[in-house]
Amino acid sequence: MQFFLDSFKSAILLILSLDRELLEIIAVSLNVSFFSTLIAGLLGIPIGLHIAMRDFYLKRLLITCLNTLLALPTVVIALLVYTFISRKGLLGALDLLYTQKAIIIGQTILILPILATYTISAVSRIEERYRKTAFTLGANMLQTAMVIMREARFALLAAVIIAFGRVIAEVGISMMLGGNAKGFTRTMTTAMALEYDKGEFVLSVALGIVLLLISFSVNIVLNYFQGKGRV
Amino acid sequence: MLYTLKKLVKSYEGRKVLDLPDLDIEKGRIYGLIGPNGAGKTTLLEILAFILRPDDGELYYKDIKVNNRDSSLAYRREVVLLQQYPVMFSISVQKNIEFPMKVRGIDRHKRKIAADELLAMVGMNQFSGALAHTLSGGETQRVAIARALACSPEVILLDEPTSGVDIENRAGIETIIRRINRERGISIIFTSHDMLQVARLADEIIYINNGRISDSIHENIFKGVIKGGEKGKSIIIHDSLNIPVNTVRGEGECRVSINPLKIKIIKNGGSYSAGDRQLLTGRLMQLTSEGDTVRALVDAGVPLSLIVEKRNDSISVLMVGETVYIECTEESIEFL
Repeated sequence: MQFFLDSFKSAILLILSLDRELLEIIAVSLNVSFFSTLIAGLLGIPIGLHIAMRDFYLKRLLITCLNTLLALPTVVIALLVYTFISRKGLLGALDLLYTQKAIIIGQTILILPILATYTISAVSRIEERYRKTAFTLGANMLQTAMVIMREARFALLAAVIIAFGRVIAEVGISMMLGGNAKGFTRTMTTAMALEYDKGEFVLSVALGIVLLLISFSVNIVLNYFQGKGRV
Repeated sequence: MLYTLKKLVKSYEGRKVLDLPDLDIEKGRIYGLIGPNGAGKTTLLEILAFILRPDDGELYYKDIKVNNRDSSLAYRREVVLLQQYPVMFSISVQKNIEFPMKVRGIDRHKRKIAADELLAMVGMNQFSGALAHTLSGGETQRVAIARALACSPEVILLDEPTSGVDIENRAGIETIIRRINRERGISIIFTSHDMLQVARLADEIIYINNGRISDSIHENIFKGVIKGGEKGKSIIIHDSLNIPVNTVRGEGECRVSINPLKIKIIKNGGSYSAGDRQLLTGRLMQLTSEGDTVRALVDAGVPLSLIVEKRNDSISVLMVGETVYIECTEESIEFL
């Protein structure tokens, strides 16, 4: 217990001292998580909207596949992306391996099904009546989609926040595709794993506290919007 | 002709919900569509609004054939459907009314002026800044009408516009419907369960039942039992009515509709003798004027609605509360 308290105390002091290495790690984490969430959102939300609003052959099967992808382990995604971006891979010439871009690609694949399925779920609940209303008021398909997105905005925002929470806490993709290079691809989770291996718990605990604080903030925002959606 | 429908069919999961041989709808008139729940009224409105495609048949709009696979924007922008419980977008009342103009590319200044005028017309201008989805049923219906008018439509389709609306708002909505038809020449087709409302508002009434046009609405729908006897078969309804029928149907339970137009009031029992099964007695509960006809509600053990022409002198001498004799023959009965 004493060991934990000492580590916790040192970690708090490290955070308060605004340690440069700590800040760098946090910045890398936030950077890759932000961009992967942004890209996945720009792709996943329109995909979810399209699936929810259209009737087509094998629609149910596609939704089942997307639901299955929610359980895809991060190491499997990392392996898949690795086969493409490694030197011998199809995209090897782009030199993406062990860069932040590689992490962003992997994380985008990780949360794309989350955003698509949450969008399908959010839109399906309200789609029919709002679609008919927008249609009969003279809206075209794009304008109708915008109406539906606006009506489902709180649920969609919740999906984005959940996706962000997922990528900021993942370790497999960041480790395998980023390589945990100090100052470049070292994220909070990979740094924690490394420090644990080294037996250095202070930075590890400090990062853990920051990660929890970020998760807590994200959940406060999520709660706020979910509450607004119920009004 | 505004709409011409030929052999229009719409099915859901193998069940035909609409099967209309021919129907013509003229421009500039008010049509009342009346029928029981599940009759196909809403489906017909959605097809007329071009947001639902028929499975078969031909639909002509302004004498131009509408392709069944085409729910084109151009048609949808001439016709607007007000759903039974209109959906308000979760933005202000003002922005809801501006929406149809916004999607048509009308600039903000013109939108604002038109929205203010429309809100004043439906008596809702004090609510312009309120969140539309928080309004009451009657207020929502008024805003929905204003929003529909913002589309500058040629046709407004209203699905039960006054269901769930209090009497005060109902009268207001009926006045608005009449005004937009008379002042703006907008063709109106509305559905209702309220025969009186349809009689008040509509230039023409379309009866629809089981997805088909019928001569009259099926009223007086009862479960009955066919029983055989010495004098032939008869239908017993709720142990109160015993109407002789000549049917090939076997004994057992059935469902019938007694046509209100074919039930007759017989002065003092006419030439019928006491105990004649076709002559029923009941208490007159209500008399209502419906254009050239009078609707009478008679408690004959079960509530029976009948329609009599005003010029028929059998009705002119009756008082509510009196005992009346009514003739209910086999011709008035339709097996459902």
